[in-house]
Amino acid sequence: MADMDVDTPPHDSSTPAPAPAPAPVVAKPTPKPAQPGSAAGKTACPRIEIKKWNAVALWSWDMESDVCAICRNNNMELCIECQADQDAKVNDNCNIAWGICNHAFHFHCISRWLKNRNSCPLDNREWEYQKYGH
Amino acid sequence: MAAAVRRLLKELQDIQNDPSEEIVFLAPIDDESILRWRAVLRGPRDSPYEGGRFELHISVPEQYPIRPPTLTFVTPVCHPNVHFETGEICLDILKSQWSPAWTLTSTCLAIQVLLANPEPSSPLNCDAANLLRCGDVMGYRSLVGLYTRMYALPQEHLQ
Repeated sequence: MADMDVDTPPHDSSTPAPAPAPAPVVAKPTPKPAQPGSAAGKTACPRIEIKKWNAVALWSWDMESDVCAICRNNNMELCIECQADQDAKVNDNCNIAWGICNHAFHFHCISRWLKNRNSCPLDNREWEYQKYGH
Repeated sequence: MAAAVRRLLKELQDIQNDPSEEIVFLAPIDDESILRWRAVLRGPRDSPYEGGRFELHISVPEQYPIRPPTLTFVTPVCHPNVHFETGEICLDILKSQWSPAWTLTSTCLAIQVLLANPEPSSPLNCDAANLLRCGDVMGYRSLVGLYTRMYALPQEHLQ
């Protein structure tokens, strides 16, 4: 037991000693190849030159749901009636309409519904147009 | 007409992609018309309809979704708001409170909710409604349970 206690401290003191030694050895080789590499880069390799870049942007309507609750088509697409009749001139007017409740539908869809009952299909409150168009 | 068909096709696709656990079956009756559907609902849990399978016939108007579909029970149901012989259902969202935001799936779920939450003040089945109006919940539950066991226990064609 006494031997063990005496043995351990010298081991502890010896282990930290070799540890720093390999560290510089590892550290040395890395800067060495880096320096000649960068030196060669300055002379031989041409720098990257930007000739053209294309920016891409995405957009969407700022509203709760992207789908028109009346026809279930996406609000950014034509309404279900106009989709079936792609050549019709009314397609140009297939816009989105917002109510004061901030719910949005295709203008064609909500106007068909309002002939039935003047309420928002989603919250049942009385419908009043807030804005219309793209 | 075209709008109704196109929306129903969308709904059918949604049903196939994301079937509801409470709706055992919901699809057009045959390939001839997409305006006639058949539905089978699970009896709601903790209600006297539990364990039953309830078949409905759905008739969709050409003006759908501006006009509501007509749903009637094919399975005889003992419920204050369901006509026992014709299967007619008294539910505001199928009439005055209809909104085109409802789908066939959500309408079926609303009917399932109606099964568990009867409204005895507007009855189509006075006997069932009167039991509830008298406060005889135990009598109501045992009567409904009897009819559920008589007519609505799962059969092969309803699964």
